[in-house]
Amino acid sequence: MAELEIRNLHVRTEDREILRGVDLTVRSGELHALLGPNGSGKSTLANTIMGHPSYEVTDGQILLDGDELNELEPHERARRGLFLAFQYPVAVPGVSVANFLRMAINAQREEPIKVPEFRSALEHAVKLLDVDRKFTSRHLNDGFSGGEKKRAEILQMAMLRPQLAVLDETDSGLDVDALRTVAEGVARLHREQGIGALIITHYQRILDYIKPEFVHVMIDGRVVLDGGPEIVERIERDGYDPIREEVAARA
Amino acid sequence: MPSETPAPRKAGARREAALNHPLDGRGTPRMTLAESRALARAAYERLPLPSWRRSGFWATSLESLDLEALEAREHAPDSSRPAILAGAPAAGVLVQRDSSVVHVELDPELAERGVILCSLEEAAQDHAALFERYYLRRLPLDRHKLEAASAAFWSGGAFLYVPAELQIDDPFQIVYEISEGRTAQYAHTLAIGDRGSAMRLREYGLAGEAEGQSLHAGQFELYLEDNARCRLTQLRDWGSGEVHDVSTSVVEVARDAYCHWLPALLGGALIRHHDEIAIAGPGGDMAFRGVLFSEREEHFDVFAVDLHETGPSGGDVHWRGAASGSSRASFEGLIKINQGAQQSHTYLQFHSMLLSRDAELDAIPSVLVGADDVSASHGGTVGELDELLIFYMQSRGLTRPQAVRVIVEGFFEPLIVQLDDPHLEGLIRERIGSKLHAAAADIESYALAR
Repeated sequence: MAELEIRNLHVRTEDREILRGVDLTVRSGELHALLGPNGSGKSTLANTIMGHPSYEVTDGQILLDGDELNELEPHERARRGLFLAFQYPVAVPGVSVANFLRMAINAQREEPIKVPEFRSALEHAVKLLDVDRKFTSRHLNDGFSGGEKKRAEILQMAMLRPQLAVLDETDSGLDVDALRTVAEGVARLHREQGIGALIITHYQRILDYIKPEFVHVMIDGRVVLDGGPEIVERIERDGYDPIREEVAARA
Repeated sequence: MPSETPAPRKAGARREAALNHPLDGRGTPRMTLAESRALARAAYERLPLPSWRRSGFWATSLESLDLEALEAREHAPDSSRPAILAGAPAAGVLVQRDSSVVHVELDPELAERGVILCSLEEAAQDHAALFERYYLRRLPLDRHKLEAASAAFWSGGAFLYVPAELQIDDPFQIVYEISEGRTAQYAHTLAIGDRGSAMRLREYGLAGEAEGQSLHAGQFELYLEDNARCRLTQLRDWGSGEVHDVSTSVVEVARDAYCHWLPALLGGALIRHHDEIAIAGPGGDMAFRGVLFSEREEHFDVFAVDLHETGPSGGDVHWRGAASGSSRASFEGLIKINQGAQQSHTYLQFHSMLLSRDAELDAIPSVLVGADDVSASHGGTVGELDELLIFYMQSRGLTRPQAVRVIVEGFFEPLIVQLDDPHLEGLIRERIGSKLHAAAADIESYALAR
């Protein structure tokens, strides 16, 4: 049972403060959705949780099971069970999906994974994501379509078995079929592996397939609303403006 | 009216660096070995140590080479294979240590079928007709002092002949070793693939760590007759000593013949290579690949020529280079399509990856076309390590050095995998890995500085 706690997180890039005091807690086994308009800071939060070097934490803490992660390198965070599914996955030229997966798995354990164990895990993951086995011998993300990239992200998540995953707009740029496959894949990993996930989106489509118990709304670098699935319906109906107005009135 | 007077020629202009020129079919007229040695010796005595100007920025100069301090070294025969060939398949092996060929072995079955693998000295005696027909056919002997020295003084040498229609899977392995410092190694490889033959050829240039300057002045010529095929790899890893490698390699591809040629330059204080492939018959085709990785203070200078003397012909030149430390590497690639070589199609690309702030890596492609029904173009990229890609891999649990290694190996992998030779692929990958390991601190500080 892992717990990721974001406490009063302030983050800036070169010239601008983007996160202005974020508080959020995600435990393994829980599904959270983080909604918010473009530019509200959702991707910054995702990247900062994983330790992207361009984001500077100026205040607050990222805690995993009570240990502060702020100063840890991204690979150390990964080895503690965090995973980030990228909004824009990066091509790794010259390295096949399968070889990359083997490398990543071995990077996170003492003994290299045995060939049969790797193979059966890969078979399972490939079925889950509804991709061709040949897919795994292609170079990772190199020339992949948008849908293939997102499938490859969830394939990696399935193989690496993190405790907590942040999915940064995994639903963007997907057609309906790809969206369903990816979303159902995530839902199954949640069921089968007990993964906790923070699903970041600014559409609501993905939430037709994944039913989060917790929903948060981020506006202007802060989480301004926490609640349950009813928030999704509300935003679908009214958009973000009424929430924005409430926040302004509170201030 | 102002008078126009030409600028006076600078004193000592003869000693100025030369520009790169293709051989363009230039060789040495047929003569006896003694005659060519004498001619080369005269050129050697006449010419200064060479330098080559590159793109106006910097030059490759051999002027600091102290030729007087170098020695030829003779060695007794040695029945053991060099360590680098451990586990490697071989149709035949020839090893030259410094000035002597110390080891030759050839599959007896192949010898029976007419394959010849022996020292070039021996070939000049025992296979005179073949030797005279091909020797220096496409290599001049007097363009610069070290070329002349090689043609005048070579000893040992390698000779390989694969007879018509014979197709051999296992590679021939030719190794040039420099065993200690202050050595002058004058090397010459002559290889012939007769009509319809197929072979693989590996040529290694190796040295350990040794004190003092050494010289490898090498000449390499490969003739592929009609419909012959060859996969050629030349690996140079002269270690961390002061080896200067000034070599010319030429490959002739006759009618319907094919060559896949990959030089891999993986170490040497100074490497100056002129590598030229000439499509000499219609239907000739080639893939000319190259890998270079310079480190520390190394200086690599490659002039690669893709020459089409006749069409229809094909060509595909694709080199990749990385540089770390304060090394310099330069790749000049020239496509030359001669008059009348219609329906020649070729492409030249060079991709580079800079791993340190103090390293320099540049590429100058050029195209000279004398026919109108052809396609010839070039392209390339200059890259640095992609921080976003490193973050991506780190987010999967790889450490930063692991991620860098994946990127650089992935950068070279499209060429390495084409070797289709696990032993050689392993050698090159391992060497790239060890260079990255050595450069880790350097790479890190470069990343932080950006």
